[in-house]
Amino acid sequence: MHSFGYRANALLTFAITILAVMCAFASLSDNFNSPSPTSQVQVLNINWFRNKPDGDDEVSMTMNISADLQSLFTWNTKQVFVFLAAEYKTRKNSLNQVSLWDGIIPAKEHAKFYIHTTNKYRFVDQGSNLRERDFNMTLHWHVMPKTGKMFADKIVMTGYRLPEAYR
Amino acid sequence: MSWILSYVLSSFLDGCLNDMHFWCLFVLSCDRFVLLRKTNLPLRMDWEGQKLAEQWMQIMLVVFAIGAFITGFFISSFSLMVYIYGGSVILTGLLTIPNWPIFNRHPLKWLDPSEAEKHPKPQLTTSSVSKKKPTKK
Repeated sequence: MHSFGYRANALLTFAITILAVMCAFASLSDNFNSPSPTSQVQVLNINWFRNKPDGDDEVSMTMNISADLQSLFTWNTKQVFVFLAAEYKTRKNSLNQVSLWDGIIPAKEHAKFYIHTTNKYRFVDQGSNLRERDFNMTLHWHVMPKTGKMFADKIVMTGYRLPEAYR
Repeated sequence: MSWILSYVLSSFLDGCLNDMHFWCLFVLSCDRFVLLRKTNLPLRMDWEGQKLAEQWMQIMLVVFAIGAFITGFFISSFSLMVYIYGGSVILTGLLTIPNWPIFNRHPLKWLDPSEAEKHPKPQLTTSSVSKKKPTKK
């Protein structure tokens, strides 16, 4: 610890190491948060349901999506990425997941929402398996931290069915 | 405030010289001697002072880090934690890096020059002096 430069170097190195440890503890503190999110999706209308010329089925629907994700936010949360996926089983694939809508929630105040929208992304199948198909609407979310580990989870809502004929 | 600045500057110059930065030496050496004449500043820390400065730095940083974390956690503000910690790093730097007089309470006692003359260094008898004579024939 002889000279000015030596002491300044030692101080800065130690300070940054301690900052890294503080960020690790901040990330660990996220584990003490036990969130209780809720959500609900209502399919209001099937706008169209057709078989495309290349052989795949396509659906367009209007939905009400409502959710309360406020309990996911901690002091170490930067934003929450949320998306709604339709999940169903066909003969060819045991699980098909099609993302219908997504959004970014930047702060806790915006985490309780109700939107009325058509599907943002096209609901297209691999083949023509959608007639009379039962499917689940699953709301997935990724809690993105300011530092550390990202948590991801979902809520599965069952009981949706597509019509038996093209419209 | 000027005496704070002069302490910081003197330790910075001291550091330049120790780090063998020759350009620094050339440009700032005149200022250093001016400072010496004007204010009689101690230009180094002694060994005890260096140990004290290091201890202060480590303890202050850890204590402020714990305080900043607890404050940020209970107020739920990550940015407040980082600002408090950043301020404490600067404060610690101001307290431990310059050569404050606290760090020079046990100065090294160099031997007095008159005392050194009483015990002269032994002369080295080199063998090359005696070698030259035989070859000069």
